Amino acid sequence: MELRFFIIRRLLLMIPTLIGLTIIVFVLMWSLPHTFLASAFINPKAPNRAQAILTAENQLGLNQGIVLAYLHYLANTLTGNWGYMTLTTPIKFDGTVLSGIGLFFPNTIQLVIFAAILSILIAIPLGTYIGARPNSIADHSGRIFSLSFYAIPVFVLAVVFQVVFGKGVIKGNPVGIFPISGTFSISAINVISPPSWLVSGVGGVVLSEPTHLIIFDSLIHGDYALAANAFMHIVLPVLVLTLSLLAGILRFLRASMVDAANSEYIKTARSKGVPENIVIKLHMRRNALIPTITVLGLLFASLLGGVVLIEDVFDYPGIGYLALSTILSGSIFGVLGTTFLFGIILITANLLVDITYAILDPRIRY
Amino acid sequence: MYSIQNLEDERNKNKAANEEDYLKVTDLVTNFYTSRGIVKALDKINFSIRRGEIFGMVGESGCGKSVTALSIMDLVQDPPGRVVSGRVEIDGFNIFSDIKDLARIRVKSETEVKIKRNKRAIKKHNFMLSKIRGKKAGMIFQEPSLALNPVLRAGDQITENILLHNKKAIADSLINRANLSLDDVKLVVDEVLNNKGETKSILNNWCRKNALVDLETQINSIFKNYTDPKEIENEIVSLIKGGITLVDKSSLIEARDYYDYREKMESFEIKRFAATEENDRELIRSIEAEEVKLRTTSGARFRSYSLRRIFTGKKVEKAFKMEANRRAKELLSLVSLPDPERIMKSYPHELSGGMQQRLMIAIALASDPKLLIADEPTTALDVTTQAQILKLLRNLNQLVGASILFITHDLAVIAEMCNRVAVMYAGSIVEQGDVLDIFDSPKHPYTVGLLGAIPTPQVKTDAGINLHTIPGSVPNLITPPSGCRFHPRCSFAMEICSKSKPKLVELEAQRKVACFLYSSEVEE
Repeated sequence: MELRFFIIRRLLLMIPTLIGLTIIVFVLMWSLPHTFLASAFINPKAPNRAQAILTAENQLGLNQGIVLAYLHYLANTLTGNWGYMTLTTPIKFDGTVLSGIGLFFPNTIQLVIFAAILSILIAIPLGTYIGARPNSIADHSGRIFSLSFYAIPVFVLAVVFQVVFGKGVIKGNPVGIFPISGTFSISAINVISPPSWLVSGVGGVVLSEPTHLIIFDSLIHGDYALAANAFMHIVLPVLVLTLSLLAGILRFLRASMVDAANSEYIKTARSKGVPENIVIKLHMRRNALIPTITVLGLLFASLLGGVVLIEDVFDYPGIGYLALSTILSGSIFGVLGTTFLFGIILITANLLVDITYAILDPRIRY
Repeated sequence: MYSIQNLEDERNKNKAANEEDYLKVTDLVTNFYTSRGIVKALDKINFSIRRGEIFGMVGESGCGKSVTALSIMDLVQDPPGRVVSGRVEIDGFNIFSDIKDLARIRVKSETEVKIKRNKRAIKKHNFMLSKIRGKKAGMIFQEPSLALNPVLRAGDQITENILLHNKKAIADSLINRANLSLDDVKLVVDEVLNNKGETKSILNNWCRKNALVDLETQINSIFKNYTDPKEIENEIVSLIKGGITLVDKSSLIEARDYYDYREKMESFEIKRFAATEENDRELIRSIEAEEVKLRTTSGARFRSYSLRRIFTGKKVEKAFKMEANRRAKELLSLVSLPDPERIMKSYPHELSGGMQQRLMIAIALASDPKLLIADEPTTALDVTTQAQILKLLRNLNQLVGASILFITHDLAVIAEMCNRVAVMYAGSIVEQGDVLDIFDSPKHPYTVGLLGAIPTPQVKTDAGINLHTIPGSVPNLITPPSGCRFHPRCSFAMEICSKSKPKLVELEAQRKVACFLYSSEVEE
């Protein structure tokens, strides 16, 4: 009962946070030369450029003072008018920032969700096991593993994995079976008459319909060979992300398990005659997960930073790829749009962490 | 200052009580292997607690009182601590019967100790302990706010204990209740209403006859709260049949048989531990033969049941849980917590310190253990709550008949609570005897000092100069003083005191002192 109120309150609290985010993004935008802003806001394909710039100035409220301009910005953001990106315009892409995000974002979500699920599924049982046996051989190897993967930057790890497991990087490497770039191999499709659901996207990247996720789209259209090929392509990026996230969760879960093991309530549980495995799984882990969840929120933030780099290393068409190419092409509204998107993701992730936290720890009700 | 009359009454009662020992601690040694050296926390402790008595243990902080409590349940944190040798017999069973197999300790020097733990033996040991802890002895800790699991509801923390040790008993009582017909209820309601004066005895007989003793108080209160016979009948029926309606009788019987089988197998295991210690080959062989016989006759049936239970046992488990909830509520009212229904659902942080300690006591008593180890249960509470908890513990001692090992540094509390008392100093018991005797004529110089250090109102009027203290402080137990560990602080110290350790000898009936002033016997 109380928990429901907490969640509602927490959801309402998200509104001021989101407003804060819009203010920050707006200030970033406002600090740029206004003529530049207006010219970047128009559709590059517009027939009358001068007229379009005037319309854009009005739409952004650039000559109406900072307060009104902010309100204009808010209205534009809410109505989905996020501006245009100056990128080569392929089919199915009308050049707006929002549709660009729509094309690329699913690929990133796919990576992050696979990595998050995989690492949580491995980290929680493993962390429970080693945390309950401090200073054993399993514990020492677990600590060495997690510390090293926590310390190595993801892009370095990505390059190392490309070299070790990448197909054709080292001649005669028996484990080098995974493709190192893109989402699928050209050789897996009929190049002369490609399937109609494959469309060439921004910057020569091929995107698929309807989900933009090539694995699922090829499954939907019954092309299982292509699905398998596409799956092999995401193995390495998912593996790298998983390892870095796993290392973080493992480290903190292990530490909080050791903390929990020294608590008085563990003695109480044992004095009741609770069998050792239930002491560990129920009494220790339940308490140890609370600090771990907090850290998970922070880890998720660093994962987002990592994904941008990883997508670049693996030439993977995700949001990081989009952000990078908008930055390189100087498409200011593309940069602002992706910044805003990252902000929303982080706020949502924090919301999820807080709610999980409240479910796990009955003492938390702020 | 102390209520002497109270003490006298206690003493007489104690003499009449059953003299048999429920807990017997022999030569218990517990060490802590730290990087700075070996802390010899317990140095051959000997004492025993009779059924139904309250046994006090008193001493300065750091003298090993709490370590004693933890060692009795083998709850000493390992590493760094370990019970090294000795026996702790709870209800006749030595929980350290396998102590030699658990770990091999090689002491190279004070700071360099190699402990090689035998994982398999420890696993077996823990299994055996999980059958003893909670069931034979419960424990109450000093700081209830830390001792309760913060993320579990109060109700779940009690029912966990109930469901761990009482599955078979619960199944039995559920089956008994399922067997009861509505006519039986009708008959007893009529009988009670016709003989108003004898409500209690009629109900008592009826409950005993139908194995409903655990519901007696609740049935009694139904008669108090309702007057209409029809209403009374309905209430009783819903009380008795509550939870059973979920399951059919055959699955209850199957569950009962299964838990019965498991309890038997576990008791074989425990018997074998005891026989192994005594190295009684004959006995081990006969236990094993019996075990094999039981396993071959009914093992297969229950192996399949334990698998099926995962899929179909949900309903039975739910009925068990409902019954455990009912018992938990009863326990909560036993420890005088108001509104048990609400407390069951609340988390520990929502309760006050006194309520938390009551909850802790309810948890410890959940499986009806006959020994309660109370490790400074009132130290963290304020004075009025302290008095309430002490009163509650005394009442429970009478009501439930559990012996209590009461550990405290407060002599006034000891005088208030205990039948017998042991005085500890630096890891050994220096004096032991009836409370009245110890307060009347303390023998050991440490006890004398301890009693002299109690502030009395007169001290203040005498210009504040008469507050006695014992010179010096508790010794470092890594390098304890040689011989009698008290000799550096003792004003009666003799030459022998620093050379050898005095033995705890019986001066007169029930009176033991370890001091060379009274006996020259030396502890090896």
